[in-house]
Amino acid sequence: MLGCYDFCGHYEWTFEWLRQQGGEPLVREYWDEAIRCDSQRHAAALIGAKGIEGMKEYWGHTLVDEGAGYYCTATDAVFRIDMHECPSKGFLTRNGLRQYHDYCDHCMGWIGPLLKEHGWVVDHEHNHCGQCWWELRRSDDATTPSKTGKLSGEHDVRHRADWLPPHGTMDVYERANDPDDKTTRKTD
Amino acid sequence: MTPSGNPLSYTDTKPVGAADFYFAINATFRFVLNNFGIEGLRRYWTDLGARYFAPVAARWSAGGLPAIADYWRAFFAAEPGAEVEVSADIASVTVNVRVCPAIAHLRKGKREIVPCFCQHCYFIGEAMAAPARLTVRVEGGNGSCRQTFLRRDAAPAPQDLACIKEASC
Repeated sequence: MLGCYDFCGHYEWTFEWLRQQGGEPLVREYWDEAIRCDSQRHAAALIGAKGIEGMKEYWGHTLVDEGAGYYCTATDAVFRIDMHECPSKGFLTRNGLRQYHDYCDHCMGWIGPLLKEHGWVVDHEHNHCGQCWWELRRSDDATTPSKTGKLSGEHDVRHRADWLPPHGTMDVYERANDPDDKTTRKTD
Repeated sequence: MTPSGNPLSYTDTKPVGAADFYFAINATFRFVLNNFGIEGLRRYWTDLGARYFAPVAARWSAGGLPAIADYWRAFFAAEPGAEVEVSADIASVTVNVRVCPAIAHLRKGKREIVPCFCQHCYFIGEAMAAPARLTVRVEGGNGSCRQTFLRRDAAPAPQDLACIKEASC
């Protein structure tokens, strides 16, 4: 049987299997169709109906279930997640699993289109080591991403000493909804 | 068994998995089925069993039937809502799934279940067992089943896929 305990392992393995069958477009199609529209349709229902309250409800439940080390901040205009210990990236790292070239892209692969459908845009950075932050705003809100500590105070993941890992890469999304709409920069 | 005493090859810091991931497993099967047909889905399952689960298969090859029994006991202990008994004798290991955690959670979530969902246990299990010169037979499905692992040289009749029930919500 295929289980949920090691789900992140066979999920990541599946990205590469699909890439080998149909290239990167098939992987994007998988994130959008299978994950956004099918598996995570409860997220779309909550966020579409309740906006930021729905985000609190969805990520409050799912990140606790997954055992994440995270902090959420919400105002009337923005929902922010500071992810200190990504449960799925952590699982992959601890178990030495890496088939697909950039596992972290999958989050933007389904969350980006979901938020676009409901009128939200994403500012997001991930360091490929299990740390990231997200700020979600309505698409007609031109506010730029917060400065470090401004929204989430001491919980801001950018305060961490390991936020910029040596010899690493940071993926940066600005007002984006597409997993490929990113810039990648070296961390040193 | 590993030096850590854990029969699972991939381990997490939490004791059980997040049940909502069963939604993604079901959705993944549907996506592969829609794109590649039933033969493509069976190939996906076989590849998973042979490649992703290769470390498990290696332990089964080294440890034989006792390693298989240890694996399934540890596996189902980490699946939320599972009610499973694993028994072993000199010739076989029987996994008696009284409550399949995946089917139970998909029903609770009112998800449309891919009808051939339960076949994955056969195709993945068979690919995992093959390097150890073992084979599996699955009977039942749609919420409860019996999976029997035994030696290939016992020459059991081939798996009859009609013995694996279609799944439904």
